[in-house]
Amino acid sequence: MTTANKMGVPDSLNITDQEIIGQLRQAGIDKRKSEEQLFNRYVYFIREGMNKHGLSEDEAFDAYSDTILSAIEKIAQGTFEGRSSLKTYIYQIFFNKCVDQLRKKSTNKQSVHRTESITDRLLHISDSARSVVQQLIDQTDWNLLKKRLNELEEKCKQLLLMWADSYSDKEIAAALEYKTSDVVKTSRLRCLQKLRSLYKT
Amino acid sequence: MEPTAYIDSYFNGELAADEKQQFENKIIEDPSFAEEVANYLSAFQIAKEQSEEIKKQHFLEIYKQSKTHKTSGMMRKLWPSIAIAAMLAGIILGIYLFIQPVSAQQLADGYIRDHFQNLGVNMGKRDSMEAAKEEYNADKPIAALKSFERIILSDSSNFEAKEYAGIVCLRLQQYDRAMLYFKQLEADTTAYINPSLFYQALTLMKRNHSGDVREAKQLLQKVVKNDLEGKEIAEEWLKKL
Repeated sequence: MTTANKMGVPDSLNITDQEIIGQLRQAGIDKRKSEEQLFNRYVYFIREGMNKHGLSEDEAFDAYSDTILSAIEKIAQGTFEGRSSLKTYIYQIFFNKCVDQLRKKSTNKQSVHRTESITDRLLHISDSARSVVQQLIDQTDWNLLKKRLNELEEKCKQLLLMWADSYSDKEIAAALEYKTSDVVKTSRLRCLQKLRSLYKT
Repeated sequence: MEPTAYIDSYFNGELAADEKQQFENKIIEDPSFAEEVANYLSAFQIAKEQSEEIKKQHFLEIYKQSKTHKTSGMMRKLWPSIAIAAMLAGIILGIYLFIQPVSAQQLADGYIRDHFQNLGVNMGKRDSMEAAKEEYNADKPIAALKSFERIILSDSSNFEAKEYAGIVCLRLQQYDRAMLYFKQLEADTTAYINPSLFYQALTLMKRNHSGDVREAKQLLQKVVKNDLEGKEIAEEWLKKL
């Protein structure tokens, strides 16, 4: 929920760029609050997406929320170097997302975001090995995999979602009340194996 | 090391440079291992997408709430203007009502409300006339009318009973009957104060049938001209009608 101080000014407008960047990089339990603050900070971009790009409100919202998710990830990873202001940086992402939305509209393309994220992860792997893995990933039945993910026990699913959201095993242990981060790691690997077996059946 | 744990170590950056190289070689050389890596990354991806879907849903709720707050905030900002507009509208309406001609029926209603709520009783006297007035004052107009009419029946020259009977009929909205009694009052030459014409005008104004107001005005003009009972009010009403 949007919070405001006693003067009625939303918290998201009170904190500096550096403070919000710092909070997003620290992750931890306060990460959610920082994400909300970032979302609220430039929420007026949605109106701009509608006025300047001719998007519907739903499309402009999608573009903006994808922008914020992308920015959160890049800030957490340290990719944002602070050469421009946070507003300029986010607006640039937003502009591209609006263009993606327009393209999506004209080509009926379903997902632009997935390719981007997969590429991020694959960048860890050397070129020759990467193409092998990429070919195999391209064969994934994403709908089935999503269905199987939702068939997992709730705590297992929760654990995998937090892992994918860049929470460390230590942070997951604190949030989901596991005894140690080692227990989280063991459980997480078991959940991944469980998901793989469900997917293969 | 179990394959999933091995893959996890690689992506967590826990392997040394030579171990990383071995890992990547294994992807190329071992198709089942390559598939394990692909599964690991696909699982990560789908979990990430699901997590982002939840976040987007949460953002949507925040957005909807902020829109609601914005609307209510706008209402708060506009409140002084709305209050001023409402006051102006009230003033204009008041002026409109004030300057708008009052209808004959409204004038009659006001008079009946102010003057015929109760009939004056003579405290020291106990007779059928006083009893009938008390019935009227006790909000029993039908019983009171019967009592007054019994008196009239027994004494057709009792103009006081006829006046009261007419008033009761007026209150009971029996206008024709009221007119009949008030007209009979005209014949009373003994009374120093005779409100007959004024009451007839009042009844016509209240009845408000076609031509009633015109006739009422003529009666009121007579009241004024002949300086009869109700002259002051008649003058006032004539200005308004």
